[in-house]
Amino acid sequence: MKRDECMQAIAPLFSDELFVTTNGGTTTEWNSVRPSDANMQVKTMGLCSSIGMGLALALPHRRVVVMDGDGSLWMNLGSLATIGLHQPTNLMHICWDNKSYEASGGEPTATAAERLDFAAVARGAGIADSWCVLTIDDLQERVRYALDTPGPHFIWACIEPGHSIKLVRPCDELENKYRFIRQIEQTEGLDILRMPLGHSQER
Amino acid sequence: MNFVASVPDINLLELITLLAEDQDIQHVPIGREEEGVGVCTGAYLGGKRPALLMQNAGLMNSCNGLTTTALQFGIPLLLLVYYAGDMGDNAFHMLGLVTEQVLQGLGIKYTVARNPSEVKKQIADAMSICQAAKRPVALLLTRDVL
Repeated sequence: MKRDECMQAIAPLFSDELFVTTNGGTTTEWNSVRPSDANMQVKTMGLCSSIGMGLALALPHRRVVVMDGDGSLWMNLGSLATIGLHQPTNLMHICWDNKSYEASGGEPTATAAERLDFAAVARGAGIADSWCVLTIDDLQERVRYALDTPGPHFIWACIEPGHSIKLVRPCDELENKYRFIRQIEQTEGLDILRMPLGHSQER
Repeated sequence: MNFVASVPDINLLELITLLAEDQDIQHVPIGREEEGVGVCTGAYLGGKRPALLMQNAGLMNSCNGLTTTALQFGIPLLLLVYYAGDMGDNAFHMLGLVTEQVLQGLGIKYTVARNPSEVKKQIADAMSICQAAKRPVALLLTRDVL
């Protein structure tokens, strides 16, 4: 199975979740499959799981879905321990594993050696609901379960490289940030982008 | 600020203990400082006013996250950094030698806090400019203020 096929299969299962996607194909494909102001792209490789955890802790009643990659998770493997420590019940962490740095030319990652078991690492880090999925049916089942059950959840999806869909480019990171925050302000009733008053207006 | 991610340093111990007891601040211990840039960014997107508390070794660990997340996305993130290797602190003299140049190189505005009677205002001022500019801002905390 390819990542975009997986995304198309699970997209209809979601409603008002917030999505944090790692850089490269994951961001481009997710924004092509399910364009939304609730999608936040990440530019620092490895940091999507940490950003997703911070978002989940800030909005504990709102479900947050992180879409990570194998190279990216390898780069911030410690984030699994931090998620295991804080136990955000509203966090679903999906790792798309194509066993390569696809966006960087296809060099193999650590999972290519077939010894690294991300689901076992996540479980060992304290994320009890951790699974490996090899088929689209199993992926849908795990996502459905994660949507219905308190987490944190970790789903390691083993995929093939490449994509089949026509890709739409996401907007730049600043526009993405403002749109993402504005939809959170609207849906959560928050005033996040408030500016301090100028000195002349303070009197 | 109402959300603080932290990695400890012996000189930050008292501050971290106070943080953990403070009901108005969500305290989130993390394993590595660059993770903290991510955690604080997520918290900001979710409506929090975050700070990252760490030693300057952690500032070095965080350079990519600060550049390609905090600066590139314009995230107001207060960096509360213990200034190891400052005059009078001999444990990490190399860190002390490069800390301010690294902040200058990253284009992160900073203040060195040396006077306990001024530090409260310095934190408030740093938070204020960080929110207005939507950028990370650093306060280097010396032993005198801790």
